[in-house]
Amino acid sequence: MELTKEEKEILEGQKGSVLQKVMKSLVLYGEALGAERLVDIEGPGHFSIPFAIPGVGLRLEMLDELVGAGLSTKYPFTLDPKSPSDFENLFVNEEQKHSIEEMLVNQDAYDKRMLQLGLQDEEAYTCTPYFPEVGNIPNKGTILAWSESSCVVYANSVLGARTNRNAAIMDILSNIAGKTPLAGLLTDEGRRASWRIEVNTTSLPNPQLLGAAIGMKVIEDVPYIKGLDRFLGTEMNDTSRDYLKEMGAACAAIGAVGLYHVEYITPEAVEQGGDLLLPDYRIYPIDDSELESLMESYPIMWADKGAKPQKCLIGCPHLSLRELEWWDRNIHAALRAHGQMRVAVNTVLCAAPQVLKEFMADSERCENLKNVGVRLSGTCIEAYMDNQLCAREAVVTNSNKLRAFTPARMFLDEDLVEIIVTGRIEEED
Amino acid sequence: MSRVFKGRTILPRHVEGEALVTHSGFNTLASFYKSILTRTETAICSDQDNKELYGKRLTGRILCLPKTIGSTSAGATLDAVAFMGIAPKAMLFSQRIDSLGAAGLVIADIWVGERICTIDQLGDEFLEYVKDGQRIVANEDGTVIVG
Repeated sequence: MELTKEEKEILEGQKGSVLQKVMKSLVLYGEALGAERLVDIEGPGHFSIPFAIPGVGLRLEMLDELVGAGLSTKYPFTLDPKSPSDFENLFVNEEQKHSIEEMLVNQDAYDKRMLQLGLQDEEAYTCTPYFPEVGNIPNKGTILAWSESSCVVYANSVLGARTNRNAAIMDILSNIAGKTPLAGLLTDEGRRASWRIEVNTTSLPNPQLLGAAIGMKVIEDVPYIKGLDRFLGTEMNDTSRDYLKEMGAACAAIGAVGLYHVEYITPEAVEQGGDLLLPDYRIYPIDDSELESLMESYPIMWADKGAKPQKCLIGCPHLSLRELEWWDRNIHAALRAHGQMRVAVNTVLCAAPQVLKEFMADSERCENLKNVGVRLSGTCIEAYMDNQLCAREAVVTNSNKLRAFTPARMFLDEDLVEIIVTGRIEEED
Repeated sequence: MSRVFKGRTILPRHVEGEALVTHSGFNTLASFYKSILTRTETAICSDQDNKELYGKRLTGRILCLPKTIGSTSAGATLDAVAFMGIAPKAMLFSQRIDSLGAAGLVIADIWVGERICTIDQLGDEFLEYVKDGQRIVANEDGTVIVG
């Protein structure tokens, strides 16, 4: 890879041994990706490393090495959601509480080091940093080095920014160096589509199911999706943005999609249309039966397959204000329909702290929700399920990512509302 | 009878061992997650969506795969399995290495000092030929001998 004079000096260790390791990592990474050179990062980062859990976050020894060398990122950054330590919102028992505390024993030290490395502020924890309430919204064309698969795919597809799918740790190393390899989704050629997805369903498909089907088929390729404008229209608004957030998260976690184009809706598809398709593109038609088969193929991973649902976790990725209002409205409507005062399944709705603040501005609405057995949290429900005691619960969710990575059972939104309120799963009746 | 395949060396190392093969993308986080969280001495694949690998031992094997897929946590996951000493011996990619796999393997190499032999672009034929349990020799020059 061709390096500038400054990059070479760093690689030779002239600016310290830790920065040398940072640059060495970037150069080896860039060479593996076939990049000819590094380019400057042009905006704030977002990283998937908020937890002091090995395998998800950085090891504390590595953080100490970076902080000890006085390094920090060129721009401030946001992080994925806070660890699940707001126990009052999570319906945990004492045993679970102690177990989570044990799992996150280094969390305070970890949080402190993240602030030292450039974390925007103590509230900057969410997997939806691009919501207006949070404000980490990159402009179209801005070069970034983000991680968190659902954020990368949103930034690229919905906002038109340019970031590769950077892995945890490589994200922060790149932003410390202020450089990222010029390859893949940073290039015009890398943003062209090799699949045409034809959505032939009779109604708007569940986004997390559609996303999973696309992700499983195209893996890491770029899909050009036709047919969604029949249901979403051509205007990018809160409804379409939320839909694309959910669809993208599933594409990215079940497959490895870092960018999709939606005909007539996403910015590059609006500008370039079918010209985005590579000449030898493949076609994947999706109809109702394809998605029904996919849903039916998901195994039940609960220890007791016939268990009654014990907890419902919603908000992976974090909910928007509009989505919070949807769940609030629909849970109350189902309670009224069944003549009940409380939900049968303890339910947690998760969103960014800034979004929750806005939602909670209506204190009566929040109190009503709390009184029927629904709590609000800014945490990560996937991290909650990382705890082995919590993972043993019969958890229901609407998140395909949570289903894929944990024993949680996934249901479609409308079905989940019924399960929350009645405590019954239809197939068991 | 053995066959020789040639790929591109990303992290060179001579290793010999037993093949473990997946024809679908290897979901790094989903595969190693349970082993990391329960701190097992041997990693067992916990990716319920991967019918070929689910429940099989990953530690010390020569993992033959098209690419890695899944969450971007993969970088920290590979760092952690290398640090815990439960990583595969090698990861042999039939296709060009993806960004998550590349980053995680490089981080494990530089920040843990644990080299997982990495070769990519071995070709579709490699993945069609190699079978679970076959003996594999991977060399520093990117040649891979199967059988």
